[in-house]
This record gives sequence, structure tokens and C-alpha cells, in this order.
Amino acid sequence: MTAVLLRRAVELLLTLLTLSVLVFLLTSLAPGDPAEELLRRGGVQPTPADVAALRAELGLDRPLAERYVSWLLDVLRGDLGRSYADRSPVAGEVLARVPVTLRLAGAAALVAVGLAVLASVWAGLRPHSLVSRAIGFVTVAVTGVPPYVVGILLISVVAVGLRALPTGGDDGPGAVVLPALTLGLPGAATLLRLLRADLAGALRLPFARLAAAKGLRPRRTVVVHALRVAAPNAVTATGLVLAELVAGAVVVETLFSWPGVGQLAVSAIRQRDLPVVQAYVLVTAVATVLVLAVAEVLLTVCDPRVRRR
Amino acid sequence: MLLAFLGAVLAACGAQNGAQDSVQNSVQDGGQNGGQDGGQLTLAAPRDLVAGPQDPYYTHQTLRVWEPLVTVDDRLRPVPALAASWESAQDGRRWTFTLREGVRFSDGTTLTAEAVVANIERFRRIAPRPSAFFSLDAGMEAAYGKLTGVRAEAGKVAFTLEEPVADLPGRLAGFFSMVQSPKAFAASGDFAGGPVGTGPYTLAEWVKGQRAVLTANPHYHGAAPAYRRIEVRVIPDANARVAALQAGEVDGLIDKGALLPGQVAAVAADSAYRVVRSPSVLTHYLTFNASREPFSDPRLREAADLAIDRRAIAEKLLAGTARPGGAFLSPAFGDLADPGPAPACDPARARELVTAAGAPAEPVTILVSSAETGQFPYTDVAEVLRAALEQAGLPAKVSVVEATKSVMEAGDYDLFLSAYSVPNGDADYLFRRFLRSDAAWNVERRLGYRSPEFDELIDRAATTTDADARRDLYHRAQRLLAADRPMVPLAYQDNPIVTTAKVGGVTQNAAYVVDLGKLVPVR
Repeated sequence: MTAVLLRRAVELLLTLLTLSVLVFLLTSLAPGDPAEELLRRGGVQPTPADVAALRAELGLDRPLAERYVSWLLDVLRGDLGRSYADRSPVAGEVLARVPVTLRLAGAAALVAVGLAVLASVWAGLRPHSLVSRAIGFVTVAVTGVPPYVVGILLISVVAVGLRALPTGGDDGPGAVVLPALTLGLPGAATLLRLLRADLAGALRLPFARLAAAKGLRPRRTVVVHALRVAAPNAVTATGLVLAELVAGAVVVETLFSWPGVGQLAVSAIRQRDLPVVQAYVLVTAVATVLVLAVAEVLLTVCDPRVRRR
Repeated sequence: MLLAFLGAVLAACGAQNGAQDSVQNSVQDGGQNGGQDGGQLTLAAPRDLVAGPQDPYYTHQTLRVWEPLVTVDDRLRPVPALAASWESAQDGRRWTFTLREGVRFSDGTTLTAEAVVANIERFRRIAPRPSAFFSLDAGMEAAYGKLTGVRAEAGKVAFTLEEPVADLPGRLAGFFSMVQSPKAFAASGDFAGGPVGTGPYTLAEWVKGQRAVLTANPHYHGAAPAYRRIEVRVIPDANARVAALQAGEVDGLIDKGALLPGQVAAVAADSAYRVVRSPSVLTHYLTFNASREPFSDPRLREAADLAIDRRAIAEKLLAGTARPGGAFLSPAFGDLADPGPAPACDPARARELVTAAGAPAEPVTILVSSAETGQFPYTDVAEVLRAALEQAGLPAKVSVVEATKSVMEAGDYDLFLSAYSVPNGDADYLFRRFLRSDAAWNVERRLGYRSPEFDELIDRAATTTDADARRDLYHRAQRLLAADRPMVPLAYQDNPIVTTAKVGGVTQNAAYVVDLGKLVPVR
């Protein structure tokens, strides 16, 4: 067991190192001269002398390898550099926004998992009812419509039409509802398809028939017994859905003016504020790698078959 | 694992919500009662109008936290702000600004000539310094000319310059003559705390990238503003901005690009809103690469120019938010813009010219920056240009690129579609930075425009203090550009902004500055 964990740790370190190189190259090799674009942000066409001075100040005139090493050392010290746009430390700004994004992602995960479980249980109890068929239909529709469109629909109907919830921002408990729905729906559809099929399969297994013969109420059979048997695939998929939530947050946060890391990344990309873009990619990538690593370790702990491999 | 994660997130949620309840209440008051009780107003802008302590200015001029010596009107003419008047001597080598009396900073201290001098000296010390709004140039020379000194003399501010500058007030207008209390600055030139200005508002709260809250400045020298508290939210997404307006969460949308051209008609049709469209300093230009074939041939540049239907671009594609381009300087420059005949649209003549010059074998490339396609329908405009060129016999293709700079520096384009603006009334700026034979834009972007005659005209204009003579020189320079066609104006863009019908007193100058201090509730 210790050996397995040790091996996983070494693998994780290598993965993170590779990741750091990719993240660094991704932003360093992006076309365009950030120094000039920075100076042009005020609408002024800068003089070549201004551009050269700023390039030197930002260290953009040093060789790539040298820049990578000093960047990596800084990152390890928790220094993600300073924003090109306003020279403030990037780490503080990103960290301040992480909880805001986690709040949205958490609510969206709740939407995804909650809706998937409720709807699949409903379908398991009444597989041939009209509602069950409608659920199947809606699932397909939701998968086919991009979140951006769902978000605009929700805004125009619920926020503008009914004025029931805010159109955006993160003020108040109601503000999270529409963005969380927008962000969580595609995940809900994915999980629902898996869970619904697995649940139907589980209900065809002998234990379900035994439960029925024993006189157990169908609700208890589905919720307590069959759901547990049907869960593994959906639980694995939940990890992937969680990872997708972070990526999807970029679009949804922009649409709903949700002040999280995704919104920060979008405005940074628009301004070509490379240190912020770099920090965003680094933080989300590291988070994804860590989540997947934790999932793998958990799987190792839970399932002896994985340990033996 | 999942449950534990969710639990942690929910706990965090609860804590955050609790902390934000008080903020939320006040915000909702601002949004929903703003127009009625006259006390509070909520606006939204596409970008953060506060840039923070490391920016040369801290806030945008629009927020009216600080005031400049000189500002511009809706025709980009320099008009008094903190300077009550000004005069020049020695052929424009010496300028003296007389300050308005009885002005105090928001910390209660009095505005003095010494304070103004301290601001100018800070600018010179920290330049070059990028800004979210208007970057400070190296040595400030481009803005002020060669400044040999700035002194406080008997309560007035005197600038002395090595060479004559004909329009110093116009060049200073806006950001470059910002005045804040010298106590607001740290020794490094950064801000020590918040901004301390003389405007009708002070910055009470700022959440970066989200909102700025302004409260009335008790020491303001003019009439007290009608709204004692204004919140300006940052909503970068254009659809989200209009949704917030329609849901009644904000009372208006301000700043550059507040409404996209395609959104104006729908909002203006609703009597609950008032759209203010005023001319802006933004002009859509088409830049020719005359350093290579085919547009090194002036006949083909003329053909391309004649093929363009500027009216269709302004009225259809830009949805009537722009006017067809004519002179190089937009009408926002007032009488400096050449009143000569507007460029014609003559496809038949364009075809003749192409036949005479010989059509290129390879299609010409119309280059568009992907960053600009979000603000204006540039992919549509480029498509229309492409179709027009092809009709004239010039095969063309559209290329939307992220980093236009490297493409242009490699000379790998034929036409570049882009919008430019000037932040003050400085006409010299556009000519000198873009088209003079040694201009950075002209040389590095391979425009290939070399005209000693043009260079001489703008050099003379820059030092000519007689207004009429200077205007004539600029008219001649523009006629030269109209004939040579290194860059042709396609359309002059308005900047549409909107408020609910409950907000009155909305005015916007050509540099997108809305005077928040003049907004009043409509009963």
C-alpha cells in the first residue's frame, strides 16, 4: 500500500512538472507583444522606446529557459507574478476569487447530482410513465443546447421577464440559482443518462425480484438497494463532471457577471494580461490533476482489485 | 468524498451569504429606488472605471472624483475645468493657466498652483507608465512637447516649452492635466491611499472588477450633485448589461461600448429608456499596406476606396450608430476636420481602374483583429468589403487574427480594418503617431507611406499658434491624405449610452465622459 502511494506521488510530481512547462509555454509562446499591447490599452500608440523599456522591466527580453526557471521558482514560493494590467500581485487576486468559483461550482454540482438522482429514482419507480419519458426527452435536449443559450433563456425568462432572480452578480443567496442551473444542467443530463440506465439494469437483477417477492415497498427497493448497486459508474463520472464544471465556469461566470476565477480569466485574456491567464490555467490544471489523483487513491483504498494491478 | 466536498462548499456558502446580506440590501435600494428618492443611482459599465493605486490616475475621469485643468466639449474643443482661463505668449513657448477660485480637495485642503505643479511633476517623474485608461508617454514629450519647466507664479501655473506648442490646452485636456491633492501620492508616485480630488464625488468603496461606490464630496466647489450615492457596477458581457437594465437592477449603462450597435434599436424603442447617442472620438479606418503589391499602386488603392459603400456600412452593419467616413479627422474635431467632398462610391470607376492597373493574381488579405470583433460587427464589415472588392475585380479574402501586430510587422496583409480614438483634442497626435514618414505605425506596420509634403504640413501646423492658419494647414494635410490614401476613414462611430426615463441630465462628451455630477432624477 505504501509503495503504491509512493509510486503515485512520484507520478504526480512528474505530471505537475510537465504541466508547469506546458502552462509556461502556452502563454509565453502566444503571439503578440504584451508590452506593446499593454501600452496601447490606454488607446495610445506607444513609441518603440516605451515598448523596449517595458519589455526590459517585465523581463520579456530574457531567454525562454531562463524565464521558465525563474517563473517556476517564484511559483513554488507562492508568487504568481504581477498583473501586466495593474501591477497588483496575481496570487492574491486569484486566491480571493477561488472561493467564489467554488461556491458556484458547488451549487452546480448539487444541481447536477441532485437532479440526476431525483429524476432517475422517479424513472426507476415509474419506468413507463409520461413523466419518465419526458425526462428522457429533456435530457437529450439539454445535452444538445450549449450552456450559453440556456443561460440567456433563463436570464430573459426568470430574471428579466418575471424579475424573480437577479440577472447577475453574486449579491444575495438567490443570485447563485440561475448560474448554478446553467452550469449544472449539462452535468445533470450526463449523470442522469448513466444512472438511469444502471438503475434499470440493477432493477432487473435477481435481488430486486427477491425484494419484491419479500414484499418490500418499491420505493425502498429503488432508493436503498438498487441505487447503491447502480452508483459506481455515476460516482466515477461525477469526478469528471466536477472537473468540467470548473472549465464551464468561464462561460457561465461571464454571462452572469459572477466574480470568480473564470471571469477573471476572460477579462485577462481580453487584455492579454498573460500572468493572470497563466495563473488561471495553472490553478485549474493543478486542481484537476489533484482531484483525479485523490480519486485514484480513494479507488485504491476502496477496491482491492485496483490495488493488485 | 463527494459528500464531504459538497458539505464543505455549502458551509462556505452559508458563511459568505451571511457576510454579504448587508451589502446586498443597500445595493437593491440603489437599484430599485434610485430614480425615485433622488438619493441613489446604480449604473453599469463594460469595464472597471477604477484602476487602483498603481495607475497614474486611480479612477477614470467619468467618475468625477478628480477634475483636470482642461477638459473637452462634444466637439473636442478644450474648455475650462479647474483652469478658469489660459493664455499663451512667446509664440506658444509659454502658457499660463489661471485657476478657478474657491476650489477645495475632498480632504478639505485648498487647491493651489503649487498642488497643480506637484501633479505635473509627478507625471514627468513616473512616465512612461501604462494605464488602464490613457498611458503616460516617455518623458511626456508627446503630450506636452519639450517641457523645460512648470512653475507656480502668483497663483497661476506657468508652463515653459523649448519649442512652440500651438494647442497645449487641447493636449492637456483630460487625463494629462489631472489634479489631485499632492498628499494623495506616495514618494514612489503611486497612490498612498485612495484618490483625493476636487470633483463632485469621492470614491467610497471599490471592489476590483465588480463595483465602485461614489458618495457626494461635501467640499465640492460647484452645485451639490442630485444623487448623493452612485454605484457603478462592472458588467463586461453586453447581453448581461442589457438584461440587468431590463430587469431594473441598474438605472443606466455608461462608458465606451455601453450598448453594442446591434442592441440600440431594441432598447431605444422602449419608452422606459432614453438612449443618448453622441459623437465619439472613435473612427473606423481601413489601413493599406502600400509597401507591397498590389496596393503599392495608387490606382488600386483608389479603386478599393471607390468600391466601398460607406453608407451601407454605417447605416446597415453598424445599425445607424455611425456616420459614413469622409475627412481623416472625424467631425468630433470640429472645424479641424476638412469639410471637403465626401468620398464617392463608384463601382464602375473602380472596375475601370482595376482593369487599367491589372488585377492581382493572388487575393488581397483583409486583416481583422479578433479582439475587435466582439465590440463591432467587424467580420460582417470585412465580408462586405470583400464582396465590394471582388465586384471591382480585386479578389479578396478575410483573415481574423488574434495577434495582428506580428502579422502586420511581417507585412503579410493588404488591408487592415480597425478603430482608433484620441483621448483629447490633440489632432497632431493622430498624424504624428500614425502617418508621418517616421511614425511608429507607418514604419513598423509597413504602411509604406512617405510624403515629405505631409510631414512638413503637420510639423508646421504643430507650431502655428494662429488658429485659422493652423486649421488651413490641417485641411491641406487631410486633402493630401484623401489623394494618397495611406489610411481611409470608413465610418465615424457614435457612443450610445442609455438610462431609464427616470434619470435626466445625461450628457456625454466626445471622449465618453458622462458628467455624473449633472445627473438628476426626473419626477
